[in-house]
Amino acid sequence: MKLVKCIVREGKVEETTDALKRLDVSGLTVTHVGGRGRGRNPTAVFRCSEYEIPYRPEMMIDMVVADYMVDDVVRTVIETARTGEKGDGRVFVIPVEEAYSIRTRAGGPD
Amino acid sequence: MVSMSLTRRPRFRALLCALLLTLPAAGTVFAQASPDPAGIATGDKTSVTDAGGGSFVVAEPTDKSAPDYAEKKKAYDEFQASAQKEPLAMKLADGLGHVKIATNTAWTLNTGYLVLFMQAGFALLTCGLVRKKNAGHLMMLNFAAYVFAFLAYYAVGFAFQFGAVALNAAPANIGGTPTLNRFLLGSGLWGFLGGKGFFLTGPAYDASANTMMLFQVVFMETAGYIIVGSICERITFGAFLLCELFVGALLYPIFGNWVWGGGWMSQLGASMGLGHGYVDFAGSSVVHAVGGFCAMALAIVLGPREGKYGPDGKPVAFPAHNLVFVVAGTFILLFGWMGFNPGSTLGATDLRISVVAVNTNLAAVAGSASALLVWYWIFGKPDITMACNGMLAGLVAITAPCAFVGPTAAVVIGAIAGAIVCGGVLLNERILKIDDPCGAISVHGFCGWFGAVALGIFADGTYGAGWNGIGAASYLGAAGRGVTGLLHGDASQFLVQLGGATLCAVYAFGFTFLVFKAVNAVKSMRVSREVEIEGLDVPEFGMEAYPEGSEQVSLA
Repeated sequence: MKLVKCIVREGKVEETTDALKRLDVSGLTVTHVGGRGRGRNPTAVFRCSEYEIPYRPEMMIDMVVADYMVDDVVRTVIETARTGEKGDGRVFVIPVEEAYSIRTRAGGPD
Repeated sequence: MVSMSLTRRPRFRALLCALLLTLPAAGTVFAQASPDPAGIATGDKTSVTDAGGGSFVVAEPTDKSAPDYAEKKKAYDEFQASAQKEPLAMKLADGLGHVKIATNTAWTLNTGYLVLFMQAGFALLTCGLVRKKNAGHLMMLNFAAYVFAFLAYYAVGFAFQFGAVALNAAPANIGGTPTLNRFLLGSGLWGFLGGKGFFLTGPAYDASANTMMLFQVVFMETAGYIIVGSICERITFGAFLLCELFVGALLYPIFGNWVWGGGWMSQLGASMGLGHGYVDFAGSSVVHAVGGFCAMALAIVLGPREGKYGPDGKPVAFPAHNLVFVVAGTFILLFGWMGFNPGSTLGATDLRISVVAVNTNLAAVAGSASALLVWYWIFGKPDITMACNGMLAGLVAITAPCAFVGPTAAVVIGAIAGAIVCGGVLLNERILKIDDPCGAISVHGFCGWFGAVALGIFADGTYGAGWNGIGAASYLGAAGRGVTGLLHGDASQFLVQLGGATLCAVYAFGFTFLVFKAVNAVKSMRVSREVEIEGLDVPEFGMEAYPEGSEQVSLA
């Protein structure tokens, strides 16, 4: 059981979650986040003072999936969210010890 | 007030004499000068005029040595004879006079309500321009400004400003406020402070005086909100309340008395032969420059916000947190200004209101266009906050001259003001290093000064015959010629405008600086460094402006 945590472009998030739905991922959580990478963020001017926008808006997708699905999920995210330009985002795969459904009290990734 | 100054003072006095001497029944209001709280004795045949302001009632000439005495006496006798023959016409004239005052009262009150609504515009504009962590603080300042300055103005401000208005600048359009007739300091053409109407009791418990009060108090409030834009994000709430009481009770009413209350600056034409005296139609200097330079002094006393200037002295950008508020606020202000300027005729029977309204809009769009283009040219991108500041700059600058200039001059004045506001922002931010979060000093101070001077340059003489008691019969050799600027042949008007506007700046800056430098020495007016970094909302007021989702990272 793994947590797959993806940071993708705002404009790519719906396409990505649609593709994940086709893979039968049981559920996912999407969050607005801000972030930066190695490069410079765009510069803005406010009343005669220039500044670098500190955090660029990004979207984060979190989902917990069974081990056998991890490869498909990661490949799907990379294929859907990729543009080839700087700032396409990241994918992290993190082990999860236990997971439960609150309604059914059942354990496991679903 | 302003336009009441249009009141042709000599004619008003002559009327008064006529009433006292010959029309005791009709003239009871003026004769006894008793307040009229119900408004049932305000407005009679003496209020009736023709379109040019000529009086229906012919006054009895009193100066037998005057060269035109015989002619005037004849006109008076003829009027008396026809009055006796046609008593019904006299009764109708009484009704007509009351309706005229009622029309003008309705106009003045309704435009006053528009000015009141500018409070909402200022609140949105200034809140949008600051950081999210101080949004609640900005809302509180704008709100408290209205409340506390209003009470200060009710207690003493109105009396200081208009306690002697009936002497030199009676607002004839709305009934003349005859009971407000004593200077506390000074007399005659050299009045310095009004002395009647404290707490709106006694002589000020009067329909006409209350019309004046409603319209004037919202003007004072405008000066009161202006300072918010310069002192926000670092002043303590207690110190802010003190600032508002100071503006509402002293700073604004004193200068207002000099220019609009019949005080010495308005009478410089009569006393020193300087044009029509110092003229400010709706308050470029009386309202905006007073507020703007008061704001400048306070911004200097407080010092820049934490982190505004880096170790190398370079300004750091604190971007606006909500441009939607900024634009909505600016358009609410533009809408309110349609009360501010046209309303300052204090009368819908003065048809110049249409020209005033068009001039006001033209200056607004010209100022906005010029600020937008100047910024585009310097920084390569148009900046919506500067476009909004430019619109307000044009409005501030046209406020003094709006009644006295033509549309083309209004465009020129607005365009120059738009450039001034860009220069002012750069000057404050980069050279003087005065931290002015919302640009209030540039918009209201610098452009207010410019507006009053522009009147002395561009006034074309088509309006304002008899203004401040000057040139009712003829001016510069022409009958009906009004306030005239440098370009149209009256250099003395330019001089008095230049001197008066500069005095306004020095007065507002100096008075505020002295008082609040002392206050700040007794108790610091600034919040602590920690509070400033955290944002003032929670430490000062115990609440967040946007509690839902306020934990989210700001994405811009």
